[in-house]
Amino acid sequence: MKIVVCVKQVPGTTEVSIDPETKRLIREGVSIEMNPFDTYALEQGILLKEKHGGELIVLSMGPKRAELTLRESIACGADRGVLLNGRPLGGSDTYATSYILSQGIKKIKDVDLVICGKQAVDGDTAQVGPGIAAHLGWPQVTYVSKFVESGETELKLERMHESGSDLSVVKLPAVLTVLKDVNIPRIPTLKGRLHSRKVDITIWDEKDLETDPEKIGLGGSPTRVVSTRKPDARDKHTIVLKGSASDSARELMKILKSRLEL
Amino acid sequence: MSGNYNMFHVEVLPPKQDAEDLEVRLDRFAARYKRVLDAGYCACITDNAMGNMSFQGSEIIEEYDLPVDGDNVMIHLNTFHSKKVLDDILKSCIDRGIEYLLVISGDGNVRFPKLKPSDLGLQGVSSVTAVELLQYINREYSGVFHNGVAFNPYEPEEEEHEKMMKKIDAGAEFVITQPIIDENTIVDKLIAEIDLPVMVEAWMSKKLHLLSDCVGYDIPEDTEYDPIESLKKLQSNYPSGGVYLAMMNYKRQFNLLSEIGRA
Repeated sequence: MKIVVCVKQVPGTTEVSIDPETKRLIREGVSIEMNPFDTYALEQGILLKEKHGGELIVLSMGPKRAELTLRESIACGADRGVLLNGRPLGGSDTYATSYILSQGIKKIKDVDLVICGKQAVDGDTAQVGPGIAAHLGWPQVTYVSKFVESGETELKLERMHESGSDLSVVKLPAVLTVLKDVNIPRIPTLKGRLHSRKVDITIWDEKDLETDPEKIGLGGSPTRVVSTRKPDARDKHTIVLKGSASDSARELMKILKSRLEL
Repeated sequence: MSGNYNMFHVEVLPPKQDAEDLEVRLDRFAARYKRVLDAGYCACITDNAMGNMSFQGSEIIEEYDLPVDGDNVMIHLNTFHSKKVLDDILKSCIDRGIEYLLVISGDGNVRFPKLKPSDLGLQGVSSVTAVELLQYINREYSGVFHNGVAFNPYEPEEEEHEKMMKKIDAGAEFVITQPIIDENTIVDKLIAEIDLPVMVEAWMSKKLHLLSDCVGYDIPEDTEYDPIESLKKLQSNYPSGGVYLAMMNYKRQFNLLSEIGRA
């Protein structure tokens, strides 16, 4: 089985801020890490490779420093990494990004399965995984919470949705996005980490990918951010209930009821 | 009790997973480790201390083929591992001849898995603490390891005492305290009560305020503190037990240890 896991390098979650002029995330000068949801996608790729054999490739689009995230993935158990990097690719929205990633997947060739985390914690759109499937013309299963059965040509999956979960059967090739219920990601070993520092990372630019210039970068991105603002602070305050536990419980019920009536 | 708990037990921090100069830090770790052993002390290797994702002591010892000499190496082991990794660490310790473990609950991090009661074949408990981990090691690796536990004199005394009794029932063979400055009456009571070696932890950083979270109250940043003097007082106050040295400065303090003459 040839598996591609898409990973993204994101800012530490507590350090995200937005450039007031460009309305884009400020990524310079902040600590970076692998998108936490992608660690579950990576672990699932490793588990499938351990079961079926084959090759696991990690794919990312971003600046050169995104190599670190690819190396971390290799330290965990991926075989090799591909970075899509080039100035014209910068500023891509989720539509353009998923197009560029799909071009990378086509160039890798003969891929059976693409796995993504459910969303990236910096953008929070959850659009890139489904976008890749749309660009490739492959079936997709999103919000996968459990791998029930995994065969060479077909997967049986539990997926979450607004009203619960259902079982889905998907024929390969396919694209999945996974939730954190799906597994427990492993921590890289020292051996893995040392190995990952010696592996060459493949870097492809827009020419290698044969992308349509009209579909990449800022110019190829239909998204327009008109304005951004911080959400209003929530109205919260603390009430300390004094007295016995039963008196406090009665008082709490009274407060909750009055709030519900409001 | 086979171990020499009276020698200096010196903490050696393994490199963090995200260290950019990893090879340099691994070399430094190996050099410090050998230095501790050459001096006749025990090298104590932490397990993701403070929730920082670091390499395991056993894997660095294996990768660098570092020597292990009886009771001169101690590995910390906490509950933030998958069952597979836990068993891999324990097997690796057996392969390398590491016999001494400090079994602790440990500090978490969103990236760390946490042992579940079902992993250890337990029912009727809601979570895995040092007690359950200790029970598991003593059950599955009976007679292989000498297991120590931690004692925190800054927790509510009654609860900490109860926990300690559970740890002793689970097979603890020695105790290491949280850092204490000069002396501590709760530790004194523990030493008088239990029939196990108790090592007191010496805080070897001049930055005493870093202990604020541990002791549960604010220590001002400008508090003057002489770690070497405090170490001497600890030795004088606890002559029958060992001392565990945390946050030691290898450049300025290590050579002074032989002068203090504990080993």
